[in-house]
Amino acid sequence: MSFFGFDTTLPRDRKVVPGFSSQHDAFAGLEGGAADDNALEFEDTYDGLGDQLSDADDALNDDTFGEQPATQAGVGRDFDFASRTARVADAMQEEQMIYHARHGINKPQAPPPVQYQPAKTGYENYADASYIPRLEADAALWGIPPKAAEAPREQPGPAAARKMMSLEEVEAMMRQQSVHTTQQPAPQSIAPEPVPHHQQQFQPPGPPPPQFSGPPQVLQRPHPQQPGFLPPIQQAIPHDARSFHERPPMQAELPGQGVQHPQILQRPKQAPEPSNQRQQPRQRPPPQQARASPQPRQILQNPNRLSGQGQPVQQPRPSDAAGQRVPTGPAHQRGPSYSGPIITNPQQILQLSDEERKAYLIEEAKRAKRNHKIHMLSKDNGLMTPQDKNFITRIQLQQLMASIGNLDEAGSPEAIISDDFYYQVYAQIRGAARAHPGQPASQFAQTYLFQTGGRYGFGRRGRQGNADNHIQRMEQQVARAVEAAKAKPKNKQLVIEGSLGKISFSNAKTPKPLLNIKPAALHHAEARPGSAQGGKDPHGSVKDEATERRKVLKDLETVYETLMAMEDHDRRMPPPLTEESSADLIQAMMEWRHRLGQLNKKLWNGLRVMEPIVPGSPIPHPFILLVNHGKGMKALGRVFRHIDDNQRLTITTLTLINLDHLRVIQHGVPPPNSTTLPQPIKDEIDLFTATINPLLFAVFHDSPLNVVVGLLGLIVERTTIPWLARTKIGTSILTLLVSRAEVLREALVAQQAAQMLPAESLEQQLPDLAAYRDTYTKLFAALEPALPFLFGGFGHPAKTETGDDVHVWQFLACIGAAADPGQQQRLVLGVKDRVMETVGVARSLPGEEGEKRLHKVNLFMRGLGLDVELLS
Amino acid sequence: MLFFSFFKTLVDHKVTVELKNDIQIEGTLKSVDQYLNIKLDDITVVEEIRWPHLSSVKNIFIRGSVVRYVHLPAADVDTALLEDATRREAAQTSARARQG
Repeated sequence: MSFFGFDTTLPRDRKVVPGFSSQHDAFAGLEGGAADDNALEFEDTYDGLGDQLSDADDALNDDTFGEQPATQAGVGRDFDFASRTARVADAMQEEQMIYHARHGINKPQAPPPVQYQPAKTGYENYADASYIPRLEADAALWGIPPKAAEAPREQPGPAAARKMMSLEEVEAMMRQQSVHTTQQPAPQSIAPEPVPHHQQQFQPPGPPPPQFSGPPQVLQRPHPQQPGFLPPIQQAIPHDARSFHERPPMQAELPGQGVQHPQILQRPKQAPEPSNQRQQPRQRPPPQQARASPQPRQILQNPNRLSGQGQPVQQPRPSDAAGQRVPTGPAHQRGPSYSGPIITNPQQILQLSDEERKAYLIEEAKRAKRNHKIHMLSKDNGLMTPQDKNFITRIQLQQLMASIGNLDEAGSPEAIISDDFYYQVYAQIRGAARAHPGQPASQFAQTYLFQTGGRYGFGRRGRQGNADNHIQRMEQQVARAVEAAKAKPKNKQLVIEGSLGKISFSNAKTPKPLLNIKPAALHHAEARPGSAQGGKDPHGSVKDEATERRKVLKDLETVYETLMAMEDHDRRMPPPLTEESSADLIQAMMEWRHRLGQLNKKLWNGLRVMEPIVPGSPIPHPFILLVNHGKGMKALGRVFRHIDDNQRLTITTLTLINLDHLRVIQHGVPPPNSTTLPQPIKDEIDLFTATINPLLFAVFHDSPLNVVVGLLGLIVERTTIPWLARTKIGTSILTLLVSRAEVLREALVAQQAAQMLPAESLEQQLPDLAAYRDTYTKLFAALEPALPFLFGGFGHPAKTETGDDVHVWQFLACIGAAADPGQQQRLVLGVKDRVMETVGVARSLPGEEGEKRLHKVNLFMRGLGLDVELLS
Repeated sequence: MLFFSFFKTLVDHKVTVELKNDIQIEGTLKSVDQYLNIKLDDITVVEEIRWPHLSSVKNIFIRGSVVRYVHLPAADVDTALLEDATRREAAQTSARARQG
């Protein structure tokens, strides 16, 4: 016998095949060959119930029978039959005798003596009345069928005799080495087994076998011979017994006694190990039964219930065994891998073919090995209760959530966007493959939470009730914990008493800071520049420029922040309102609009458009300062999407008035000693052309003639046209305006022509056209002196190599188109040299290059209604 | 998470990874994780003469901490978007710092 109750004999040595035949009488062998004649064949007595059982749902056994696996930790050590029980038995017997002497046999004794109660722990659950009905109902089930009641009577003697055998008896018997065929019915059948305890109480099992006269336990048997006389200890049971014939299911009506009853039944739960328990009956059933004779019920049923924790006692053995196979793991007798016939009898083995037998034996060995392994591993099983595990899971989840950040933030699309902004947006823009759209860590956490809840819910629906409750509770707890962690200032570092350094917490989001700068020091550092400025050092202007620049950049960042907020806000726009929109929706829309208004205002203020314009001031307008930065130029495109037409027009006006202050215009003319612009300025000009020009063009395009003319007038009034005309940006803006005005004018003229009105009266009827004419004249007048210098540097009008002069030709073309004949004359005079030169160069250049230049010149010539070809 | 997010968009693009031991490896970015560990496929070493032992290596896993630079294909970087992503990250960080 091994410690764990395994059969350590090798399969080949094993005569008894485990399985249902585990109840095989271990002493059958002692009786020699003679015993075989009387031996009950398993096949004869087995009712086959076990075969009908399905193992399929064995995994649910825990749900049915309780959740806690029987483990060493969970099972008490007070599972001894030899000492305590025997003592109790003696005491009970004494009590019984006393009672008998005093009262006769009529009435059952009042409360049982205290010593009857074995010292147990862990039975508290069973004080709960809720457990009784289950057990009682099953008891009734067992008791009701008359067959079950009769069965024991058929073979009372052998059964009882067999049960009575104590360890001492066995030893004595072994010593004698004698054969007792009558007392030892060999392999005991399963079906009748649970019955004897009833029978012992009211059905005399027949005369005690003479062979057992010696052991004291035999003395206990007199009481079964007096059916009416009940030992006090069995106080709970007697009802069972007494009422057996009268009202079998009556236990349910006796809750008070039922409380004790289950205690008795409960004992198997305390058994140290399922496997032990399962093996014990096979290895030494008689001792147990013999010792237990005063409390036959308690002991006799042990084999039934040993491994099925909380399982109804009266369940027939076969089902018991079958049901336990899977869930009890270590105890189960047949590995799932064995595909051959189920061996329930040793003889079956003999009938198998050699190969099958071999396979079976190998399988057996494997299983034994496996069981042992499982057993070794399961040593620490149950160290943690499910509650403990829950607790740990919760802590882990909390950490997970906390590291992700805000709970309400995590899991929302906002969190995904902000955490993985670049990727998400980039993927949307570029249509990159999104294998896992939006799967941040937080969702893992959510998934995990859900799964855990499900798992526990599944396992606990027996006792803890609602699984949903549990999940909810857990989620609430996580939320609360995260909330609490948020509320209290996070300990970035921990100085433990006695530790040699600081322990800092870090995670992927907030890496461990290598520099530990105290906030106070930071504050001090921030304050320093201010104090230095107070000193007003001689390089004040430089400093001012730097601070100015920083200030502008800061303002720009505010603009960007507002822009992003607005873009976020746009995404949150509620669905468009319809007539049947609900009040909530309307409310949401109102709030959304209100917020939009606020953001717009913030953006507007951030742009500083409305700051007063100081004409002639050397300091550029704050808005122009913003636009002078590349960042500002880029921002403006986005700004225009979020402001209304009036605001756009305001910005445009402001820009045009302050064109002189734009860096791209200020520095837009090559320095005197050079023909080309420095690269940074070139880049800025390109950027301006790419970002702001389209915006201006859009505004011009949407404006009526009077507005366009007004803008043109502002430029003429407020800016230095000659300078402007020499810059690329200046010319392009002027081109845009003039060409737009020209198009509008043409449209008006065409309209007038369609109405057959005299051309002369046109300008009188339409004041806009007259204003345009005036403004254009002013513009031309201002422009005329600069005409020779439109192309590049002052001293190098002949530098035709610069290919980047299309804009100039375009400008000239559009000026020429808008000019009246007199102005055209002056225009041609102004640029004649350049035109001739370019045409000459173009003619001398071979192929494409020449074509290109001629084409540019032609732009201008066509504007005048001429063609390059005419020049030749 | 910004750089992680950023590098994710470069998956399946050619990049050159310069390691802290001066080896430059060019290859197709296969994957990147939050530690910026990098998996490259079809790699070639830029100066193969100096590091011939890598000439037979076809793909490689680089621990993020040994990377000095990653040379990016400029066409595959959306600068404006990256700027915004940076702003968001900064705003988030400062919000978190304020939150304590």
